[in-house]
Amino acid sequence: METDYSELLPLAPATLHILLSLAGEDRHGYGIMQEVARQSEGKYKLGPGTLYDNLQRLMDQGMVEEAKRRPAGEDPRRRYYRLTPVGRGLLVSEISRLEDVIHEAKLRLRLPETRRA
Amino acid sequence: MSRTLYRLLVWMHPAIFRRQYGEEMLWIFEEASETQGARRLLADALSSLARQWLLRSGSWKIAVAMAGALIQVTIGGFGHLLFGPLSRGGPLAPQHAGEPIELQSLIRIIIWTVSGIGLTVILLATWLKKFSARRMRAVHL
Repeated sequence: METDYSELLPLAPATLHILLSLAGEDRHGYGIMQEVARQSEGKYKLGPGTLYDNLQRLMDQGMVEEAKRRPAGEDPRRRYYRLTPVGRGLLVSEISRLEDVIHEAKLRLRLPETRRA
Repeated sequence: MSRTLYRLLVWMHPAIFRRQYGEEMLWIFEEASETQGARRLLADALSSLARQWLLRSGSWKIAVAMAGALIQVTIGGFGHLLFGPLSRGGPLAPQHAGEPIELQSLIRIIIWTVSGIGLTVILLATWLKKFSARRMRAVHL
């Protein structure tokens, strides 16, 4: 049975970016901040307070969990976080919703299909 | 200086949040203060502090309780002013000043206060039911 995530959508920008940054690999807090800055080409920068507030909430909701394994020799203060299957499902639902929004916007505004380099 | 200030802001967070993320926040501050700017990180810690205390720590329950008390006092007060001893024709209206408060006035005060409490309980129960249902749905996806 497919889970319905509509109650939790749309996601706040910080939540979307955090989930997206964890989609590829497990990351520590600073790694998430750097990845969010990279994904948004420096236009969206998360501070540690905003990051951990969101991480706390996402962990409470079971979207993100702490990764048990971490690279050897890492600073013990660096904890790694990973996306859970539920978090991945939520992210997929949000991306699908955003695709629909963009499709609708392009139709209404008569914009051509654009592709990023 | 900014490092000490940041440490202080982290220390002021609720204990549960501080224990879980405080060390990481300090580490990130050390790593990122040069690239992101200490002032920006301090502002972020300040807004996090407000968010944690007001929204996440349960202090909002105190705010709701105070709002509830305010509703009760307002309803009780208005009812008392409109229908109680200070209202026109009431025992403490200007023409009756100095006369003792009648038992009937006391009953009116009690009725209006109980009405205020009742309304507050109904409002809070309705709101809490909706809030809990939404939260449970979110947690048990």
